[in-house]
Amino acid sequence: MSPRDPLEPDDAERYPLLTEDGRRMLQFLREHPNAPMFRNRSGNRLTADDLAAVREFERDLAATPAPGWAGERPAWLVDFVRRAMVQVPHYRAYSAGEDVPFEALPTICRADLSRDIAAFVPDDVPIDRLINFRTSGTSGHPLLIASHPAVAASYLPLHRVALRHFGVELRGGSGRVGVVLVGFQRQCFTYVSVTPLLGDSGLAKINLHPADWRDPDDRARYLDALDPEMYTGDPVSFAELAKLPLTTRPRALLSTSMALLPATRRLLEDRFACPVVDVYSLNESGPVAFADGDVWHLLQPRMLVELLDDAGRPAAPGERGEIALTGGFNPWLPLLRYRTGDTAALAFHGREPRLVGLSGRPPIRFRTAGGEWLNNIDVTHALGRFALAQWTLHQHADGRLELRTSGGHAGALGRALIDLFGAGAAIDVDTGATFDGKVRQYTSDLGGAS
Amino acid sequence: MTEEGPPLELMLRRLAETPLDFLAEPAPAQTPTPASGQAPGQAVGIHTLAVVNDLLRLHGATAVAAGLAAHGAKDGPHSTNRLRLLSLLAWLLADDWFLTGRRDPAGILAAMAAAAAELAPLVPARAAVRDPERREELARLTLSHLSLRPAGETETSARDRLTMLSTAERTRVLAASRQAEERARAIREALAKKKAEESADKWSRE
Repeated sequence: MSPRDPLEPDDAERYPLLTEDGRRMLQFLREHPNAPMFRNRSGNRLTADDLAAVREFERDLAATPAPGWAGERPAWLVDFVRRAMVQVPHYRAYSAGEDVPFEALPTICRADLSRDIAAFVPDDVPIDRLINFRTSGTSGHPLLIASHPAVAASYLPLHRVALRHFGVELRGGSGRVGVVLVGFQRQCFTYVSVTPLLGDSGLAKINLHPADWRDPDDRARYLDALDPEMYTGDPVSFAELAKLPLTTRPRALLSTSMALLPATRRLLEDRFACPVVDVYSLNESGPVAFADGDVWHLLQPRMLVELLDDAGRPAAPGERGEIALTGGFNPWLPLLRYRTGDTAALAFHGREPRLVGLSGRPPIRFRTAGGEWLNNIDVTHALGRFALAQWTLHQHADGRLELRTSGGHAGALGRALIDLFGAGAAIDVDTGATFDGKVRQYTSDLGGAS
Repeated sequence: MTEEGPPLELMLRRLAETPLDFLAEPAPAQTPTPASGQAPGQAVGIHTLAVVNDLLRLHGATAVAAGLAAHGAKDGPHSTNRLRLLSLLAWLLADDWFLTGRRDPAGILAAMAAAAAELAPLVPARAAVRDPERREELARLTLSHLSLRPAGETETSARDRLTMLSTAERTRVLAASRQAEERARAIREALAKKKAEESADKWSRE
């Protein structure tokens, strides 16, 4: 057995509050005879203080009605902005200490966070237990998000609000598996853990790609053995999950990351006989809203959602605009007029603001030389080792691929794509491309790509 | 600082009594001659250049100064504060002491622009009204750009006092900047550690 890397966390740091039941759950998840190979390690990292903070966050959510700020600014906004302009280096540079009306504040975008995330971490938060979330995204700006174990754990209370809307109350409890996060990619971060907020119920993050399993049939056996209360994933991984001959039924599916088309949703609801909840969630903000039909309900009481036109002015009521976020529950990344790149219109139900016509990031599949379909995330992984600021990949109707980048080595990039798409793939690489602001990173002319 | 200027106390008192209108948000589009019916300081924001233009007329200008429009550009992170400081200086230099002496309008504009540009990254306009030391720095800096010294002071003592005030402020700003760089470096290092890389459980991914 190789000695432990002292720079890596140990299990005491991964699961500071681990109970005996939790220890047995971890063992069950890891050592089940049909278990996949788990490629990574992770944990909840929650201390007693963190757990108390997450419980308080959940109590506050239950006590706070849905966001209501029709025609006015929410009461918390003034203090939030004032503190951000004092404590956050990037925002502090706006005004040399002067009061600036909210509408006159500059907006920020993913490129700003990508440039230097440290400038968005307030001066008065401790940084000894920082964690990061990396994201490649669709906008071409790789992002490193500053976060904290308590922030990561606060996703669950927000999910529970969305699930309650559909009559699902997660129970958790020791000896049960609360959630399985499913991916379907060539490469996927996979691990097992437990959730102290739900009595150390089990959590497994798995990849349904057959390469992660000794036998592809083990996928259904393992998931039936776990019998999780809920699956989370994206439309691509759920489509794969739906093909498995599962005999157990989850109580809900929660879909994030990509647009969930209505037909796919109905198919999944029929297949699993449970609600399929579509959640609009960003690494930068956590879960923002969930869909009920065409309407998106906002989840975070302390988040202001604006819809802005290209010039940064508020879109007219009912008009589409780019979603801009202010506030949030990550004290390590307070957002101030953050332009998400996604669009929607704002509609008020009484005083409650809701989103309609949300247009996020549609999934795109690419066809390899051998006729296999690849998820766009696999392309992102393949390009991950190149320091590209922005890029696009387009597949023409004849299968030819066109990679456009601003910089990089054309030969090396071409070889990386050949490795992914196969030796017979036709690939053009243009490293001298220029991009005008936000681009659709992945596009295809092939039928069946989206 | 070759000529004797007004008593320093007179300038400090006038700055302390600055009407709030002069500290209002500058209008998004600046012009020395706003459309009629749009008085400086209306809800759209203060037309700083119009205020400066009025001051220059009080000093004998008969036409809009060449280059005045260029001072209205919002061209950097401190431009809003620079415009506020220009408004504040327009109030200061409209004091009877200055008007009685009637100075060259081009020299007045050059002195105002230089003082506002120098202080904009360092001293918020409100601090130049409320904080006694920053008030004194603004008054002395403006006098020096007009080649004036406070009444009753020698050239040497006036220069020494201004240097002391501005050095103290720059030292503070530099120290804050060093502290900010150190903090940013610590954050980048903390995020790059293996323990940060391993992340923590979320119930969904984006």
